Amino acid sequence: MVSIRLPRLFEKKRGSRRTGSQAWGRAGEACFYAALLAAGVVFTAMLGRRVVEAPGGLASIGLWMWLLTLLLPGALLSIGGSGLARLIHGWGRSEEGMAALRRFPEMFQPSGRASDMEPFPSVPPWENLNNSPGTILRYRLPLESPESWSVFGFGLFAVLWNAVVVLLAVTAGVDFVGGQTDWLLLAILVPFLAIGVAGVVIFVRALVLQTAVGPTQIEIADHPLRPGDRCDVYLGQGGRGMFRRIALSLELEELATFRQGTDTRTERRVVREIPFAEWRAVSIAPGRRFEERASFEVPAEAMHSFASLHNAVTWRIAVHVEPAKWPRFTRHFPIIVLPQRTGPALLNVPPSKLAVVGSGR
Amino acid sequence: MTAGSVQERLEPRVITEFDRPSRRYDPEETVRLRYHVTGTGDAVVRVIERSALWYSEGKGEEDLGVCFFERLTDLESLPPKQRRGEYAFRLPASPMTYEGTIVKIRWCVRIRLFFVGRRDFVSEHVFDVGELPPVQLPLQPRAVGR
Repeated sequence: MVSIRLPRLFEKKRGSRRTGSQAWGRAGEACFYAALLAAGVVFTAMLGRRVVEAPGGLASIGLWMWLLTLLLPGALLSIGGSGLARLIHGWGRSEEGMAALRRFPEMFQPSGRASDMEPFPSVPPWENLNNSPGTILRYRLPLESPESWSVFGFGLFAVLWNAVVVLLAVTAGVDFVGGQTDWLLLAILVPFLAIGVAGVVIFVRALVLQTAVGPTQIEIADHPLRPGDRCDVYLGQGGRGMFRRIALSLELEELATFRQGTDTRTERRVVREIPFAEWRAVSIAPGRRFEERASFEVPAEAMHSFASLHNAVTWRIAVHVEPAKWPRFTRHFPIIVLPQRTGPALLNVPPSKLAVVGSGR
Repeated sequence: MTAGSVQERLEPRVITEFDRPSRRYDPEETVRLRYHVTGTGDAVVRVIERSALWYSEGKGEEDLGVCFFERLTDLESLPPKQRRGEYAFRLPASPMTYEGTIVKIRWCVRIRLFFVGRRDFVSEHVFDVGELPPVQLPLQPRAVGR
């Protein structure tokens, strides 16, 4: 039985499989990058020729102008060249072959073997979580604070937007002083001003919420942890006044990054929450702070911490705070959970890696 | 691999036999398996790639990590001359097989055949590392899109 396989103009995606030929797809991609590269070469040659033929040479154009005109051909050259190089590099290689090449570049030979020797592959490094000593317990954990970035984002938006508003207002004012009234400009200015004021209000509110309640401090006795480990925790909560509730829990969160059209989106989902301490009707006197100790146990059947390029499984201590006069908030302190012990596992770890493994002990 | 030529249709198949019928291993254990390539007729295989890897499934883009990779190019050890093979590799300490809600991690061995003048063929065989129970959601999922 014979069949003639021709390239398809359109293909279907069935799950993670595509019906089209990978070779034709790569050839098309190569043509695209080659075209970009060729366009970059042609533009660069044309620009170079104009400079050479100009009466005053480069001086007549100016260095900055010359650099500016090089932006477009430079971008074409870099995108086309790097894309083509990547395709040539991966030509004829399988998905796992490419992954092995990235992981074991020195071992990748036609008949070479490669095997993993890292102590805990795909477990995120924990050196940055262990480099701050605690005052009561051994380690002070850093705060994972997306709220701070939100405040920064609100502030940046407020500054940039209001700079535009000021420019428009100055233009409108100059026109008004000169005896002219540009009604279109005024019509644009009003909603711009409203958005600018709203931006400042949102920024100030976020800043007050972030700073009014006071800092949260978490220290732990041991890190990294293993499934089944029990660990002491110290909590320090600043602020003053009444707190309806302060609670601690251990959370397992999954994080997946994916592309939706041209957007890159990240979805987070808390898949496990283990409350282990709670205090109600807490009153903090001015100049003091709330300090308590508790302990938690990492479940024996727990998944270890995991992080790859687009996916992650993370453990963290969550501090849930409900002030009497402010909105409730939660602060997170990430921790690392290593895989379960499997007998004499660490005996096989190279000595250079053992220092890293043992650094938290 | 190659398209646009007149080809005899092949139905390659790779049958694997793990040293442990349950296909469940602990981290850092050694996995041994045998394989048998069938359905390739007289087609010449120029390369076989044998690998062991984990890959992610779920909502995120797929990630993968190779823990073992071997590329055989000696024609004497390839079909049609040699249709059987075996290999072994030691598992790393992590990651473990994980059945989460939006993130899942699977382990597999892949045997990929590169034919002369034909499209390559890959056979994948899943096994488990560790014995973690699947995640069950006791609380309402909180999804935050960014």
